[in-house]
This record gives sequence, C-alpha cells and structure tokens, in this order.
Amino acid sequence: MGAVLEVVAVSKSFSAVRALHDVSFSIDAGEIRALCGENGAGKSTLIKLITGLHQPDRGRIRVGGQDRQIRSPIEAQLLGIASVSQELSVIPQLSVLDNLWLGHRDVPFFHRLSKFRRRAHDVLALVDLSHLSIDAPAGTLSLAERQLLEIARMLVRDAHILILDEPTATLADKEIERVMTALRRLRSQGKSIIFITHRLNEVFDICDSVTVLRNGSEVGTHRTADMDRPRLIELMLGRPLGQMYPASSGRIGDVALSVRDLIVPGAVHGLAFDLRRGEIACLAGQIGSGAIDTVRALAGLIYDATGEVVVAGQRLRLGSVPGALSRNVRFVSEDRASEGVFRKLSVQENLLATQLGMLGRFGLLSRRRLMGSARRMAGTVRVDNARLRDLAGDLSGGNQQKIAVGRSISGLGEGVLLMNEPTRGVDVGARAEIYALMRRLCENGYAILMSSTDIEEVVGMSDRVITMFRGVSVRHHERGAINRQDILAEITYNKFAEAS
Amino acid sequence: MKRAFRLLSSGMTRAVWLLVLMVVCSFVFDRLGLGHFGKDTAFSVLQYFATFGPIALGLGLTILVREFDIAIAGMFGLGGCIAVLVGRLDPLLGLAAAIAVGICGGALQGYAMVRLRLSSVAVSLGGLLTFGGFAYVLTGNRTVSFGRMDIALLVNTPILEIFSLRSLIAVLLVAIAAFFVSCTRIGRDMIAVGGDRQAATTAGVKTEAILIGTFATCSMLCALSGALLSFSLSAASPAGLSDISVPAVAAVILGGASFSGGTGRPLGTAAGVMILGLLRTGLTTLGVPPYVHDLVTGGVLLSVAIADGNDFARRLYDLIARREASMSSTR
Amino acid sequence: MTDRAERIATGGLADRMLRLVTMRHSVAVVGLAVLCALALMTPGFTSIPSLYALINTASFVGCIAVGMTFITLSGNVMSFALGAASGLAAITCAWLSKFGLAAALLGAILVPTAINALQGFVIGFFKANSLIVTIAALALINGAAEMVTAGQTIYVEGDILDPYKGKLLGVPLAGIAFLICVIVGQLVLRYTQFGQRVVLVGSNSRAATAAGVEVWRTTTWVYTLAGLFSGISGVLMAARYGAGTIEMGAGFDYTAIAGVLLGGTAVAGGQGSVTRSLVGVTVMAVITVVLLLRDFETQYQYLLTGLIVFAAILAQGRFRS
Repeated sequence: MGAVLEVVAVSKSFSAVRALHDVSFSIDAGEIRALCGENGAGKSTLIKLITGLHQPDRGRIRVGGQDRQIRSPIEAQLLGIASVSQELSVIPQLSVLDNLWLGHRDVPFFHRLSKFRRRAHDVLALVDLSHLSIDAPAGTLSLAERQLLEIARMLVRDAHILILDEPTATLADKEIERVMTALRRLRSQGKSIIFITHRLNEVFDICDSVTVLRNGSEVGTHRTADMDRPRLIELMLGRPLGQMYPASSGRIGDVALSVRDLIVPGAVHGLAFDLRRGEIACLAGQIGSGAIDTVRALAGLIYDATGEVVVAGQRLRLGSVPGALSRNVRFVSEDRASEGVFRKLSVQENLLATQLGMLGRFGLLSRRRLMGSARRMAGTVRVDNARLRDLAGDLSGGNQQKIAVGRSISGLGEGVLLMNEPTRGVDVGARAEIYALMRRLCENGYAILMSSTDIEEVVGMSDRVITMFRGVSVRHHERGAINRQDILAEITYNKFAEAS
Repeated sequence: MKRAFRLLSSGMTRAVWLLVLMVVCSFVFDRLGLGHFGKDTAFSVLQYFATFGPIALGLGLTILVREFDIAIAGMFGLGGCIAVLVGRLDPLLGLAAAIAVGICGGALQGYAMVRLRLSSVAVSLGGLLTFGGFAYVLTGNRTVSFGRMDIALLVNTPILEIFSLRSLIAVLLVAIAAFFVSCTRIGRDMIAVGGDRQAATTAGVKTEAILIGTFATCSMLCALSGALLSFSLSAASPAGLSDISVPAVAAVILGGASFSGGTGRPLGTAAGVMILGLLRTGLTTLGVPPYVHDLVTGGVLLSVAIADGNDFARRLYDLIARREASMSSTR
Repeated sequence: MTDRAERIATGGLADRMLRLVTMRHSVAVVGLAVLCALALMTPGFTSIPSLYALINTASFVGCIAVGMTFITLSGNVMSFALGAASGLAAITCAWLSKFGLAAALLGAILVPTAINALQGFVIGFFKANSLIVTIAALALINGAAEMVTAGQTIYVEGDILDPYKGKLLGVPLAGIAFLICVIVGQLVLRYTQFGQRVVLVGSNSRAATAAGVEVWRTTTWVYTLAGLFSGISGVLMAARYGAGTIEMGAGFDYTAIAGVLLGGTAVAGGQGSVTRSLVGVTVMAVITVVLLLRDFETQYQYLLTGLIVFAAILAQGRFRS
C-alpha cells in the first residue's frame, strides 16, 4: 500500500529562525496519525506546508506518489487536502451556510443553490449541529459550536487527507466523543487523518501511530500500541519529565490576592479564590473556559469586569492597567507577538516599558538609570547584556518570553505575577528556565497566578489548581491532590448539557 | 421573526430609518412653510447623489474588506481631468480613459499593499498625493474647460423630473454593487476577507485578488464620478481633499459601516449619501452662507467618527458605571 | 535554537553590510547627496536671495513637520489639519496684534494648540480614526476661518512683528526658530518619559496598554504638541507676510509628511526621530527651490511631493517572498 502523503527531507526557516529541519513524514490510507511535539517544535509549520500556506525551502512533498508544489490553500484543496486549524477561522459576519462553503472550489458565482443547503444539513448532522439555523450569522454561535462548524467545513470538502490541529480544544467530553466517532468512520472509509493534540489520552484513544517533532526535527514515528505515556513525553521533551518542573520550597505566606464574585460579561460567571505569597496557583481550563479572561480582568485589561478584588489588604479597582501596576500586580500576556513584546524596539526598551515613571524626575528620562535598570532586569531573567540593543523581534520565542516576564519584575519584591500561557510557543530549553524563574520569584515573596491549557504544565508547576469550565469554577485542588485524570475530566465536564 | 429583529438593529437599517425620518421632516417643513421642498429639491439631492454616490460606494467597499482608500479625492480629480483632456477628441473615449486610469491606479495600490505588506492607509496616502499631483500637472493648476455644452446638457437634463443621466448611472451602480455583495460568491468572499482575513485565506478564498479588485473598483468609481461631474460642468479642476473626503466618509459611516468591523453594505452607504444630500439641500434652501456647509458636514463627520470609535462603548460604560456608583454611594 | 540576532552579531562582514544597507536613513543620505549635486548645478541656487527663500520655506513647513513627526511616531500616520491650524494661528496673530505683541503671540500659540488638543483627545479617548478626525477638523477650521474673517485678509497692526522677520547673525530668524523647534522636539523625544511613551504607543499600542501606558493621554499630548509647533509656524508666517489668511498653511501637511517620511520615520509608527525630519524637510525645501529656479510651476511641486511620498512609503514595505 503506497503512502497517500509523503513529506521528504523538508526544511523551512523564517528569517533565520529554523522552524523545520530535514523532516520526513509519510501516512497511508485508512490511518490516523498523531503529530505530537512541544510548543515551537514545528507542528504548525509542517501543517502550513502541507496546506499550502507556506512553501518549503528544501525538500519535497508527494501526494499520491507524485511530487507536488502546493502553492496555496486552493491547490491543497484540489489535491484532496482539507484542514481544521487551531485558530478558529469562522467568519462571524457570514451565515453558517456561507461559512461551511467558504472557499470551496465547487461553489459557483451564484452561490446559494438548494443542493448546497441540502448537503449542509447532512454534514451538520454528523457533528451534532442540526439544531442550528444555517442562515444564522456565525457570530451567534458559541465557541464549541464554532469549532464543530470548522470540522463540518472540513467534512464537506470530500477530501482524502484530513488534518486536524487541536480540534477538541473547546469541546466538552460528549462533543469530543462525537468527533472521535466521525473520525473513526472516516478512517474506515480509507481516509488519512493527521491529528495534532496536546491531550495525550486522545493519542492513545484514537490514533494508530504517532510522529514526534522536537526542535524542528522528527525524532520518531511509532505505532501507539508500542508506546506508553511516559516514553512519549520523554520523546517530546528530550528529557525525563521529572527534570522539567522544579520543586516547590513549600513556604507559603499570607494572602496576597483575594478574589470574590469576579464577573466578566460573557466569559466568567462569578469566581472566587485566594492566592498566597510563595505559591503558584493555576486556573486550568480549555479555550472558552474563562481562565484567560479571569487573569486579564485582574490585570486591568477588561473594562467591564466586576468583582471584589483585594491586594495586600487594599481593594483593587478593575479595568485599569496603571491601577494594577501601582499595586504591583503585573501581567504576562498569552499573545506575545501582539501584546507581550514590542518587536521593533530593542530588548532594553522592552524591559523598561513598564518602568518609565521610575527612571527620572519631573517626567525626564535619565539615560544612565536606564542602562543600569536594564542590565539588572536582564540579569534576573538570564538574558545576556550584549543582547540589550538587539531588536526584540529578532530573538527566539523563548528569549522573547523571558523578556516579557523580565519586564514584569520590578525588583520591588512582594508582587503578584499574572501569567497567561506562560510557555506558549517557547522551546523546551527556555521553558525550563522560565519554570525555574517562576519558582525563584515565589521563594522571594511573589505570588503567581497562571492560566494554562497544557495539563502537564498545570500538574507540574502548581501548588494549587482551580479547574474551570465555560466560565464557572468546577473544583479547587490543593497540592498533593492534583492529578491529571481528574483535572482533564473536570475541564471538559459538561454539567449544563445534562441539564438542558 | 428573529431574522427581522437582527436586520432591524443592523447599521444599514438604522441609516434607512434615518433617511425616511429626514424625508418626512422635509415634507413637514414644506407644509409648515419653513422652506420649499419639492421636486426641484429631489432633483438637487439626486444630483448630489450622482456625484457622491459612486465615491462613497467605492470607499464603502474598501471599508467592507477592512481597509481604507484615502486616495478617493485624488482619483476623483484625476478622473475628471483625464475625461476632459481626452474627451476633447471624443467624449466616450474620455470617459473610457478615466475609467481605465481609475482601474489601473486602484490595482496598483492594491498590488503594492498586498505584495509589500503595507497598510492600505499608507499606500493610499501615496496614491492620494500622486494622483492629485498628476491632476494638477495635467491641468496646469487651473480649471480646464471642456467646451461641450451638448454633453453637459445630455448628462444633466432632468429625466422623469427628478433624475438625470448622471444620477441614474449612480443608482445603477449602487444596485449592481448591492446585488454583487449580497448574492454572489465574490461578495461573500469580500465579507469573509473583511471579517477575518487570515481565516478566509486558510479556507481557500483568493484574498489577494479580492483586495486588488476592491481597490481597483473603488478608484474606478471615483474616476467615473469625477469624469461625469466634469462633463456636467463642462470643466475640470483639481479637487479639494475635504470637499470630497468629508461627505464620502461621513456617508459610509452613517450608512452603517465601521472601521473596526469590516461591515457596511452598498444600500446603507447610499442611504448615508442621501441623508447628507438632503442636509445640504436643506441648508441651501434655508439660504445659509457656504461656510456653514463646511461646518455642518465637518461636524457630522466628527460626530460619526467619535461614535464609531473603538472605545466609545467602553467610555459610555465607564460614564454609566460611575453614575451608578455615585448614586448608590449617596443613598 | 539560534535566533536572528545571534546570526547577525556573530555573522561576518557580509551580514553586517547587509544590515547597514537596509537601514532606513541610508535612503535620506543618498537622496541628500544626489540633491546637493543637483542644487549646486542649478544657476542661482547659491545666491543669497534664493538661500533666504530656501530657509524661509523650510522653516514654515519645518515647524509643522516637527509636530507631524510626533503624530507619525505615535502611529497616527499624519494630520491633515496642521497647515490649516497654522493658517488660523497667523490670522489670530494678525487680528490680536492690535492688543499688543504679547496678546498676539499668546493667542496665536494657544488657538492651534487648543484645537489640536481637542483632536488628540477625541482620537485618544474614543479611539476614533485619526485621519478621519483630522479631515473633519480641516473642514471645521476652514469653515470657522471663513466665518470669522469673511474671506478678508487680516493685516498685522503696525510693525510689532517686524523684529521676527529679521535676521540674527545673518540667518533669518525663521530659520533659527525652526532649528530651536527641532532641538526642543528631539530632546522631548529622547529625554522625556513622554517621548518614550510615544515610541511605545506607535510601535504597538496593545502592548503599550498592557505595559501600563495610558494611550489616550499620550495621544492627546502628541496632538497638543503638534498644535504648538503649528502655532509657531503661523506666527513666523504672520511676521514674514505682515498678514494672516487661511490659505497660508494650505498644502503644508503634504510637504511636511513628505519630509517626515523622506527622513526615514516609519509610516507605521514607532521608529524615527525629529532630526530625521529635519533632513527630510531640508531635502524637500531644496527640491522646491531648485524647481522654482528651473522655471517649473507649482503643480510640478505637488506631483513631485506625491511621488516622493509614494516612493518613501513603498521603500518601507517588506517584500513578500
């Protein structure tokens, strides 16, 4: 049986950052292959090459035994390749029907014929979305419904090579089961499926084999029957799991941050918890759970958030970033590229962005103090002083994240650090450094609240876990009672579907 | 029922309601003897529509794809100059030349935008100054007369008492654009590109072609409008920036489009132009000096720009929240 | 994982030369060199009257360009109403001249500063589209000026402004005022916290917000500052022509933005400086005078300004591979 899709010795770089190096990969008909790897391992880049969004610098892609140049998503479509991307690509202004058929090559100039409507109904039934009106604007759909719509869009394409990038990121367990059933049926029809997921239980649940990428290289392809979880993780990380996450010193102080009745309209429906000095608490939840919004609200970035938040004994006014900063509540964004770093400014300017008020009197800027502060902060996060003048955008994801964290440490001690997805898009080496930095900060009196969708990170780093699902907290776990299976079950737990 | 409600709250419908309100007010004014609003008023308003309709339509299309063509004033002036200069040989040739220049100029801007990954504002700023500069050079910085009164009459003679050839062309253009956007695949793709460009590209939409095509269309519409106006005045001169841009942008936003949303439909834009036309004609009827037009349209544009601001909702919320907080604390 | 910075730092001569070639101010330096050659070849260029004309032209537009630089740096591209503001300043100066020098100067500076502060507030507080707001302001200022002056030129009372059109050490005072504006502008940009905030906001306003910068305050001050410099330009013009009309500043915005972009300030914001605009404005002024001396009429100046802006913007693009 010849391979349906083959990627041969492919390399790709983005302005001197090597995303993929000499990667080979092949998949047969009727096979579900998991593609696993840490952030920045190159999974998304590989997928973008196969779907035509980028072209490889070196190497070939063979489809059905023939070398092909896939220059655009349309050409990928013509070759029978369809995909569901990690970033939801549903257009809110268009109707469900239009979204389903968006970009499909068979759609003619006058595009609302009845045969398209019929087929739409059929496909929506497959993913349990038959209750939707196909003329409703997609903006009215919930996140989970949008994700299912994306999967439906892929199904409507009659492709034989299907690629799903984190297709269950927002789904509850019943919805996940639906998707798995659909995929199993497609496999029995002879389709080839590439499945990217961080949820290793899904790998062992549905995939026949797994390919692991690490630092842009392919480090192994195995049948899932021959693998187990610890070996898979070790293959992904390049080191045993135990070496990733530093231990906690255990010294916990008073309450640094106290939250009651936190409401973010549309995202969080009343949250309460306490955070103590010296501890790392984690809000665990998938996309749409409200974890990220909670952290952003506490950072002052959401103007209509309400709630009783007390920092070090005094009330914190929500909706103002300067207000939060003045109470030493600092934020590291989940969206590093557009909110965390100033990519066209120097490392030094990035580090000092939150400190301007302290670098001179009467609104002036003392260049001397600038240099001194910058050096100190660079030292804290182990970034070389020689790099201070480099443009932040030229640094690797890991170094950029270190800067983003570094500028939040003012040296005033006893602060609260809010981090959303602290190691998203960061390579393994830098991740370990950031985890070590977080523990060091806690030992110096910081309190850290983070949100994460990476279960290993949640389990490995937290002293306390609060699981969230669709805007509500499910359970609080203390150290010693944090285990993976419970957390995973809780963040996909669909209490409300049972009631409705 | 739900669909009707959704339609009601859309920006376009608000514009249409506003237009209806203003027409009703004019009738009332007429009856009360405050000013005369009759068939000649309708004719004036439609003549205004003939000039600004196509321009606002083109601008609206670029805003729909979440861009902004600021070169509209430059292309309008250039279209008029080319039409008159080439039209001395043959008026139809002049018209065709203006349209061709519009398409090329817009496509050039779109291409530069897409290939060089520049913002549309930056590229069209260059376009504004360049097209405008060409208009100045071609006319020698003075008004160029056309001398074809027969053409001017043809284009301006009242048809059915309130229309003229120019305004009928404008109405036709709006109808074509509205049909295109709502009922064809290209229209759907434009909405997709405006809604989420990356998503549209990944799904397989030819995003680059859509952007280049939209800018080509916008410039073409401006050049066409400029050409027809020059024919009707039998003269061409380089246009002033605020004379064209202020009504055009105001009309588009009044019509329900938004800079942040990639929204806006041709019919809404048309309603916006009619509202401004009615406003202008009304002011003229009341006999105000010309600078009042500048002040009023400038004020309208400023107001809609504020209301369309990204933080407008948030500031309103802050104001209400603060009032509630102070009220509850005094209790 | 090696990153680009490492590559460049450890790379050889070839890598470093490549970096030098793509630096923005190489465009201005090359342009300046070519222009100097052209200018010196034009008969009459080095004569004193034409040099004075050069300095005056550069100064009126230049003061506006200093303010425009801040607006561009903050990511707001440009203002279409700075020229009109300076015209209004000239009118105010002439009109208040009957109340004495102090009143004339004070009024002439305060009026455009206040009008621009209002624009900056609207743009910053509501996040309204900056180009649209300034276009609207242009219409409003023109209308207001027409209303107030009834189309008449307002003449300066007596000769109280005469000292300001004189010379100091052989250099026209306008030129000295322009240079002072440039120095003050550059100092504010580099040595104040406000200046650094302008760069942060222009580089990435979302990141600036997350870093605790109150973007609306910075934006308001940017436009206020631009208004101040426009006022200075207006005073200089009122002194030079002994009168004030709204036409005085017309079209200055285009020349100013051409100077700013030619100098190498990025149209997207976050990169550039006031000294770069000085270079750009000087280049624009030299071009203007050379065109005049070679008997090109003003419309060629408009076209050339347009082509320069277009070319400068295109040069700032990044080629899609």
